Amino acid sequence: MSILEYNGGCVVAMAGKNCVAIASDKRLGVQLSTIAMDCNRVFPMTDSLYLGLTGLHTDVTTLHNLFNFKLNLYAMREGRTIKPTTFASLVSSTLYEKRFGPYFAEPVIAGLQADGTPFLCAMDLLGAMAVADDFVVSGTCAESLFGTCETFFRKDMNPDELFETLGQSLMAALDRDCISGWGVDVHIITKEGVTTKSLKARMD
Amino acid sequence: MERPMSASGAPEWMTAEHSMGTSIMAVAFDGGVVLGADSRTTTGTYIANRVSDKITPMTDSIFCCRSGSAADTQAISDYVRYYLDMHVVEMGTPPLVKTAARLFRELCYSNKTQLMAGMICAGWDSAKGGQVRQVFCVPIGGSLVEQPFAIGGSGSTYIYGYCDAHYKEGMTKEECQAFVKNAVALAMSRDGSSGGVIRMVTVDKDGTDRTCFGGEQVPSF
Repeated sequence: MSILEYNGGCVVAMAGKNCVAIASDKRLGVQLSTIAMDCNRVFPMTDSLYLGLTGLHTDVTTLHNLFNFKLNLYAMREGRTIKPTTFASLVSSTLYEKRFGPYFAEPVIAGLQADGTPFLCAMDLLGAMAVADDFVVSGTCAESLFGTCETFFRKDMNPDELFETLGQSLMAALDRDCISGWGVDVHIITKEGVTTKSLKARMD
Repeated sequence: MERPMSASGAPEWMTAEHSMGTSIMAVAFDGGVVLGADSRTTTGTYIANRVSDKITPMTDSIFCCRSGSAADTQAISDYVRYYLDMHVVEMGTPPLVKTAARLFRELCYSNKTQLMAGMICAGWDSAKGGQVRQVFCVPIGGSLVEQPFAIGGSGSTYIYGYCDAHYKEGMTKEECQAFVKNAVALAMSRDGSSGGVIRMVTVDKDGTDRTCFGGEQVPSF
């Protein structure tokens, strides 16, 4: 099994009209054995910017701590919160610094820019960025997620439709992956704030 | 993106053998047996079939649970079904469960270097008026063990303690069914290669009863 599949897990983010949503599963495993069903892999970096990380969980935790540290210094020096596009560049360069001994984690960034438009991007473990205006995926069932998202996505969804679409896309993909699942958390980010919902999913 | 690749460079989910990670079990009660299994077949970590049927009929009242390589176990059970059909023609009576189990053992042991198959053979026959002792386990390697209840597959490792604690001698058919349902549900909940629906087959002198529990009907703990 590849090192990126050791712990399992997946993250997907989708854009709507002036809103974004990011969702992940809750499984933490050691290869095929499940050891926790409450593991968090999506983290709030600012009020309107979320970072999801899949891959080896120790690197997910390390990168989360590292980016919190970097954002605190950024806020101290700049006196403002970081923009999503700037944060994406920060993540990309942090990963590429370790080009020949990388972190085994693949991030997904979802946020709202200052004018309210959504920002989505995904990266591989070396920091190669792919910006999208519809959806981005990462994790052990990424191929399945591409399929379900491509099928269910429509442009300009409102927050409720976005929640439903993202939730169903993720749950359908989880049904086809052994090492993801055991619960789903969805965060919907709008100008007004962030709503977090948990979905009741198959626990197998 | 880094993805597990086979030697030819194709993604693992295209080339890996179909495997039934699996949780299977069978329990004997006075007058019959209950067999249970999950329904997940995998190719690497991709779930190739999430509603597969791992409880395969050998005769009207003898069944086997299959774990390991899907291809190997399908081939073995096809052979055993064929041999049992020939045996019925020669003997004129339905075969004993022990006979079916011995056939499994013979195939699995003689070809042990080339096979990856763990089977549980259970059913009802009319010897001694349907005696207890109708559950036989043929693990990988080809040994044959008769047990009051047998568990197998990768998911079984998670339920040894539960089964040892909850099994009692002299359980009724309904108690056995509840025992199997809960044990398979627990295994599915912890093992990545087990999941889907719980398939259950109850065999006694009156015939065979097949049930399936999915979604909300799967016990949660």
